[in-house]
Amino acid sequence: MASLGYYLLLAAFCVCAYAAAISVAGARRRSRRLIESGVGAFYFITAIMAAASAVIVYSFVTDDFTIRYVSRYSDSVQPLFFKITSYWGGLDGSIMFWVFMLSCFGSAAVYVNRERHRELIPYVVATIAIVQMFFLFLMVVHNNPFTTYLTQAPADGDGLNPLLQNFYMVIHPPTMYLGFVGLTIPFAFGMAALITGHLDDSWLRAVRRWTMFAWLFLTLGLMLGMLWAYEELGWGGYWGWDPVENAGLLPWFTATAFLHSVMVQERRGMLRIWNVTLVILTFFLTIFGTFMTRSGVVQSVHAFGEDPELARMFSVFMVTILVVSFGFVIYRLPILRARNELDSWLSREAAFLANNWILLFGATFVLFATMFPTISEAITGERLTVGPPFFNKWMLPIGLMLLLLTGIGPLLAWRKSTFINLRDQFLFPVLSGLVVGGALLALGVRVWTSGICWTLCAFVTGTMAQEFWRGARVRQDTTGTDLLTAFVGMVSRNKRRYGGYTVHLGIVLIFLGFAGEGYKQDEEASLKPGQQVEVGAFTLRMDAIKVTDDGQKQMITGHMTVFRNGTEEGKIYPAKWFFRKHESQPTTEVAIRRGFFEDFYVVMPAFEVETQTASVAVHVNPLVNWIWFGFGLVAIGTGLALLPETAFAFALSKVPAGAVTTSLLLLALVLAPAVAWAQETVQAKQRSDTRRRLEGDIMCMCGCHTPMGTCQMRPNCAHYDQQAAKVDAMLVEGKSYDAVRASFVEEFGSQYVLAAPIDQGFNRLAWAVPYVVGVLMLGAVFFSARRWSRTRPQDVAADAPLDPTLNERLDDELRNLD
Amino acid sequence: MSHKAAKLGITSLVLALAFGGLMYTTLSEGTEYYKHVDEVMANPDAWQGKRLQLHGFVQGQPGRKRDSLEYQFDVHQNGKVIRAYYTGIVPDTFKADAEVVLKGRLAPDGTFLVEKDGVMAKCPSKYEPKAQLGTPGV
Repeated sequence: MASLGYYLLLAAFCVCAYAAAISVAGARRRSRRLIESGVGAFYFITAIMAAASAVIVYSFVTDDFTIRYVSRYSDSVQPLFFKITSYWGGLDGSIMFWVFMLSCFGSAAVYVNRERHRELIPYVVATIAIVQMFFLFLMVVHNNPFTTYLTQAPADGDGLNPLLQNFYMVIHPPTMYLGFVGLTIPFAFGMAALITGHLDDSWLRAVRRWTMFAWLFLTLGLMLGMLWAYEELGWGGYWGWDPVENAGLLPWFTATAFLHSVMVQERRGMLRIWNVTLVILTFFLTIFGTFMTRSGVVQSVHAFGEDPELARMFSVFMVTILVVSFGFVIYRLPILRARNELDSWLSREAAFLANNWILLFGATFVLFATMFPTISEAITGERLTVGPPFFNKWMLPIGLMLLLLTGIGPLLAWRKSTFINLRDQFLFPVLSGLVVGGALLALGVRVWTSGICWTLCAFVTGTMAQEFWRGARVRQDTTGTDLLTAFVGMVSRNKRRYGGYTVHLGIVLIFLGFAGEGYKQDEEASLKPGQQVEVGAFTLRMDAIKVTDDGQKQMITGHMTVFRNGTEEGKIYPAKWFFRKHESQPTTEVAIRRGFFEDFYVVMPAFEVETQTASVAVHVNPLVNWIWFGFGLVAIGTGLALLPETAFAFALSKVPAGAVTTSLLLLALVLAPAVAWAQETVQAKQRSDTRRRLEGDIMCMCGCHTPMGTCQMRPNCAHYDQQAAKVDAMLVEGKSYDAVRASFVEEFGSQYVLAAPIDQGFNRLAWAVPYVVGVLMLGAVFFSARRWSRTRPQDVAADAPLDPTLNERLDDELRNLD
Repeated sequence: MSHKAAKLGITSLVLALAFGGLMYTTLSEGTEYYKHVDEVMANPDAWQGKRLQLHGFVQGQPGRKRDSLEYQFDVHQNGKVIRAYYTGIVPDTFKADAEVVLKGRLAPDGTFLVEKDGVMAKCPSKYEPKAQLGTPGV
């Protein structure tokens, strides 16, 4: 099996070389046949990589420990799910996974663009194939995932690191790869445009969508990394400016800059050199980040092996990228000249320019600070390091300036803003910012950076609200429909713009959460049963430490009670797990009570079972959940912008005015009672369903890792029978659903026995949702019915409340965009 | 030189100087020296009061005051030893013979006072998970 995999990698390398060579030859000779042969070979690489991936997954699933990579990252008792995902658990496999994804992505990009951008395709194929060749070369000579043991193979593997046996860690790497790999596509198109000299804006159109897509995944990848750090590492935060985190952030900065400056080129024909440079830089940074963290150039406490050979190969590749791509940029300078000049600093393009500079400065700063220990050692011989406070000192103002620009940008006109439209545009957003700022001041906000941040958030939200409102009003006037229909029509006509605004609203939420950081409170204590520690409004009382074992690991669980302002909030169970084979590396299981306004976060890093003493670190983290909500909104906004142009077309083409409202109204009428009814039935049927719910909630302890209700071992599962009997007995006693659950938790010593942990903060939220939705829908029904029943005056133009310049501007922009 | 180029040049010069100056001042308070125990002990007086990241190995079992989070332990390297004090939570991997990096300052009496959250222990086995964070691939 191993040699099959190895030969597949070799074959892929050869096919890559062929694809690159034949494509270039075809393009130079203008031979359609050669080019198509290259494209065919390019698709074939995907097939080979898929086969190689199948081989390694097969080896993992069948526990083929003769392969060194398999034995290092898997073992026979690992659940199937983690066996498969161990594919990208280590360095060698992740390179291979990278190439596989790149080939999939590349093929898709080539397939989609093969007709529209025919002249670019051969060079796109060649560029991607060369990048693939580099990684395949790495694997073939240095990091072969199919290396076998020369001597006796071990009987069992080492197992995947327990810290990685976590849902976020399973989906985080592929998400990041999608982002990184996706950013290779714009680079390939950029290079093709440079080489062929087809430097009009058509290559930008080809890559805009791909960049957005890659950017979305990069963003989500960063978020998943943050979530993982927050929930698994247990230091109470989510971002520590570790070199590895920074490596992911660098291309994010440049990709974000590109997504903004690309609009300036589309609209005004400016920044052409800049855009090509950004595309190249972004790709370069994805490679550089990898190099930085994996070759031992930057020392981190997290002990990356130093690997001078890998470092050398990466250096050669990076220098090649820089020399070749910037060589082409210089060669093509004459046709990259801008078509327009900046008319005024009070224009939207100037705001974009400022945004680009700040983003790029952010990237440069992070790069500098991350490399600082290495730089200082090289220059002075003294190893100087900089910590998170240094990063924060610089990134805080950078972030706030970006936030400010987010609010300013949409308010400025293209080319030049006049004083009149400045006043008109800025009045409402500035007012809303000032009101919030004043209110915060009056309430005595003690962290001034957070205060500024919230004021800016209000300003940006004001801007967005105004944009949505005015856009909808203008469309309402021109189309003569009601406001809701106009709103939907406006968004669907201009998905990129309003998708972008939605993304910015998400960013505002994220910043709200960041600003909450200024109010976090921490406490550390060593507690015995009965003792308690106070943090802010919360009090944590230690009850007991219990030891349990589930066969795969030993679990030391702290049983603690949380009080808020003196009233009991519930139990919380921080724990420490000692996985078999990884006893020296226990995992700290964080206990979090999530809330709308703050998280109560407890870790138990040390304990003594004999004396029942637990060392605990308690954090109260305000507004953390807003960050995750914000990322959700970012994803929705990007999704909206990415929707194909035709997605709404059918709805827009011939529907009569008011149709949207009508349909929404009908939907609301149907749904509102349904929501209320659902709530009712849950109440009524609860008793009869209790048993079934419990079976879905309580894990079957036979080792099947599923809740009782779905245990695979039934009907021959002794554990199931036993547990079911217990549940029945308790129900006969008249115990409630919660009481049964509680007694299971009590018996097994931790919430591990539950399929989903008790989480009252969220439960409460979920409980409130139907009511909120119901009220909102009633409001919508009322509003629409009123609008609907009112007879519309015949002369629509007469009551147009907006001034003609704004109207004209909006019309102009609606026409031009898309 | 044209007027425009001069304006551009002066603007970027001023900006660069401002940033450079800011960077220099913040750097001097933000930096820490990364030193090994024996390097510091070669001339302890020179390092007193400076922010340090001290690299060494824990000698013997770290001592802990009963029912508290106060630790007292020795770090050694190449035969030199420094006594260190720390109050707070320590990482799982902090134990006898662990390789540690301590953030803090050298006190006048030659002991090392570790600041809050200043104990970082290197894991004896290869610590891959952090590597996954942020850098996919490679």
